[in-house]
Amino acid sequence: MPTSKDNPVSQSAEPVFRTADWHEREAYDLVGIQYEDHPDLRRILLPDTWQGHPLGLDYDQDRPQIATLREHANPLEGDHRSAGDSNTMYINIGPHHPATHGVLHVETVVDGEQVVDLDSDIGYLHRCEEQMCQQGTYRHQIMPYPDRWDYISAGLLNEWAYARTAEDLADIEVPEYAQIIRTMGAELCRIASHMIALGTFALDVYGDFTAIFMYAMRDREIVQNILEDLTGQRMMFNYFRLGGVVWDLPEPREEFFEKIRDFIDELPQALEEYHDMITSNEILQARTVGTGVLPPEVAKSYGATGPVARGSGIDYDLRRDDSYGYYDELDWDVVVEDGCDNFSRLLVRMREVEESAKIIQQCVDLLEDWPEDERNIQANVPRTLKPEEDTEIYRAVEGAKGELGIYIRADGTDKPARFKIRSPCFSNLQTLPEMSEGEYIPDMIASLGSLDIVLGEVDR
Amino acid sequence: MIGILKGMAVTLRHALDGETFTVEYPETAPEVSPRFRGVHKFSQERCIWCRQCENVCPNDTIQIVQDDKRNGEQYNLHIGQCIYCRLCEEVCPVDAILLTQNFEFTADTKNDFVYNKEQLKNVPWYKDIDPLNSRNPDRNAWIGEGEGEVDYQ
Amino acid sequence: MSLQAVLPDTISGLLGLEGILGDVVGGLVGAFLIANIMLIMTAFAGPWAKRKITAAFGDRIAVNRIGPFGLLTIVTDAVRLLSKELIVPEGVDRPAWDLAPMVIPFSALLGFAVIPMGNGIQLADPETGLAFAFAAASIASLGIVMTGYASNNKFSLIGALRAVASNIAYEIPLVVTAASVVIFAGSLRMSEIVAVQAEPLLSVAGVTIPTWFAFVNPFAFALFIIANLAEVGRNPFDIPEAPTEIVAGFQTEYSSVYFVLIYLGEFIHIFLGGAIAATLFLGGPAGPVLPGFVWFTIKIWAFFLFTQWARSAIPRLRVDQFLEIGWKGMLVLSFANLVLTAIIVGVIV
Ligand code: SF4
Ligand code: SF4
Repeated sequence: MPTSKDNPVSQSAEPVFRTADWHEREAYDLVGIQYEDHPDLRRILLPDTWQGHPLGLDYDQDRPQIATLREHANPLEGDHRSAGDSNTMYINIGPHHPATHGVLHVETVVDGEQVVDLDSDIGYLHRCEEQMCQQGTYRHQIMPYPDRWDYISAGLLNEWAYARTAEDLADIEVPEYAQIIRTMGAELCRIASHMIALGTFALDVYGDFTAIFMYAMRDREIVQNILEDLTGQRMMFNYFRLGGVVWDLPEPREEFFEKIRDFIDELPQALEEYHDMITSNEILQARTVGTGVLPPEVAKSYGATGPVARGSGIDYDLRRDDSYGYYDELDWDVVVEDGCDNFSRLLVRMREVEESAKIIQQCVDLLEDWPEDERNIQANVPRTLKPEEDTEIYRAVEGAKGELGIYIRADGTDKPARFKIRSPCFSNLQTLPEMSEGEYIPDMIASLGSLDIVLGEVDR
Repeated sequence: MIGILKGMAVTLRHALDGETFTVEYPETAPEVSPRFRGVHKFSQERCIWCRQCENVCPNDTIQIVQDDKRNGEQYNLHIGQCIYCRLCEEVCPVDAILLTQNFEFTADTKNDFVYNKEQLKNVPWYKDIDPLNSRNPDRNAWIGEGEGEVDYQ
Repeated sequence: MSLQAVLPDTISGLLGLEGILGDVVGGLVGAFLIANIMLIMTAFAGPWAKRKITAAFGDRIAVNRIGPFGLLTIVTDAVRLLSKELIVPEGVDRPAWDLAPMVIPFSALLGFAVIPMGNGIQLADPETGLAFAFAAASIASLGIVMTGYASNNKFSLIGALRAVASNIAYEIPLVVTAASVVIFAGSLRMSEIVAVQAEPLLSVAGVTIPTWFAFVNPFAFALFIIANLAEVGRNPFDIPEAPTEIVAGFQTEYSSVYFVLIYLGEFIHIFLGGAIAATLFLGGPAGPVLPGFVWFTIKIWAFFLFTQWARSAIPRLRVDQFLEIGWKGMLVLSFANLVLTAIIVGVIV
């Protein structure tokens, strides 16, 4: 809802969609918009003592941030908070904790071992990626950064989010051949990303860096080698360009295809092993079935997407529902599980790996037979892009964790005036209290693992 | 119970087959692809001091100092902040800057991570891979070959 | 039944000392020997074997840099750990906090006093040997409670409470299962339990299978091993530590020497668990060809291997499920086992 610059006040959408809670806090924090009737309008990404709203137009970059010692008192002050109810205990889980997958701070109130109240404190990894993108040129300088949002090898998926947005903004048509390469690369990334989700989830439930984590890493390693051959880098790919990709498949092509084929052929066996070790294990089932329950209505209200939503029986996948790339030409299925619990989120990921393998298989077949003189990997794009003033655009792709959307407002220059990232992890993490209040601490940890958040994308 | 036993069987199989997938670095160096992007190599002879790489670099890693006749004096790379996006290599019209396969470099302080043109020149290739060769087939897709205004300064 | 002389008597006999002096010197030297044997084993197990084994399960290369097979890692690790700063957090309850790291390894070592390790290596052989071993082993939970409450850390507290809960829940099935063996053996004396198991059970094609109670009553053996895993706090029952849930549980605040002591204590505990299991169910130091002590070592290392294997392959239970299994499953089963054994023994004998 637009507001005026002089009086930036808007109405809160929190009562309608719970997801508005965090998103409005973020807008307040970074841009400085006030929301009426918002239940809890605090800073979310920046420290509480921060002065000013850095993405606001009137923000003075050079003004020093001065916080008095009193204001800057121990940020973990809550540690000594005396709860009114003497039966409960306040615990800081994180920012440094073996199972928070990064620097996440969960302020937890427990009653014995049961979680009574929980509040995620994020922003430890905030790098102001949005501002960095606002300072980069559309044509070149933004593309390296999406790799660094969800840095767990989901790079190409993120790059695609930016590529899609900017290409639609500047009316660039991507050659079909490049689209197939993109689709293949993106699905490889999805496999790599799901593998690590699987491994770390097992890690949270098993308790040590043990076998299953290593096996997941081993299989991810193969994907990463393929991606390295393709893009030249293992995680920070910077492989997409507006209008296509930067490199054709590596020569000799047969060898490259062979590598992918080998991987796809071995995958069912590897998955079989995972099923033997994870999903068919009775203890794991006891731990995950029926815990961390996220009913579909709640998931929708919180704007959960990706495997988290699909594990709650929501049949929503942008690859199919708002098709881009080459997906609508290929034969694959959207994976949905109705369990709403940690187990079904795990299953969704494992089955999505199979679907991705199917897609890659088809892409490889297509690429192999592609006529040699039609291998056009990049459209002609002018060296400088200057979209017209006040054009706005929002486009999203199905990232590894869910709907990764980008909003750009152009101001006639070669850099975006506003660059907003709608990160799936940010919304997904918001559901954590719903999933774990009333559950045990171990289940809270398992739920957190099953959300598969990457703090780089939550905090941006 | 069956599931638990299956899991134990799988792990035991892995333990007994003796296969490992980790390598003993640095004795066994990992394979890097010919496209890998590591520390830059800079060729002073080739550079025409067009400053395109400096302009394209998203985070001001490259610093070029010219005298008043636009002859190059300094070419400094703040390698510690480089994100290895390889855009500099892509825009360079004469292949004066190339990212090698070399990822093994260390320093004690941040200041040691500023490489000048001499140091950049001496960056060794990694395992004799010549990136220029390996990149040639794709060069026509790189930035600068597309139509539209080309702004050589 | 003639019992072998216990180790202190042998030593004092060798030294030619008699009377009280002989008892004291022999006892001290014997205790010193056995403690060192166990410490050497844990030194192998902790920094080296554990890593090697975990790596093998995870398809990795592990410790191989220093010395043959990386064995000298043990030395470097010891130096590294001991030279670290001992951090004493604010507000710890001093005497308890300092004592706990000693209680844990010493309680485990104490348990070894009554274990017959073969070749006459046994410190003491009291009539209540088995009860003594269990009693000594469970002193460790006292140490854990001390760490938990003295650390002034909420994760430690939760860890300690979990340790107590698990100890109570699994100690009973453990002891009750052991009691079924006692019914067979008709004695609590360790050496007698071992001796009873030496008798042949049946002969198949010239190979005599002895009456090891693991063969006589495999069900009790399985129960005992499971309860033992819980007792020594290993996966899937490593609830008191549970690194991904409560950081490191009771030992969160310990560093340097204290950490080493606790860590050692845990490994000695695993070995003690293995030793009790071997004595009760696997015929103690008995075995063909090789000398008894070697067999004994093999058996306790087998148990150690088993714990590491379980650690690699089995997920951790949630604390409430864990207790549920303890109280509703293990307890009932172990009593059923005891009653059945009693009836069978009563009928047959
Ligand atoms: S690789 Fe990228 S960040 Fe590094 S110097 Fe080149 S353009 Fe700059
Ligand atoms: S783009 Fe190439 S030629 Fe131009 S200044 Fe940079 S290195 Fe030199």
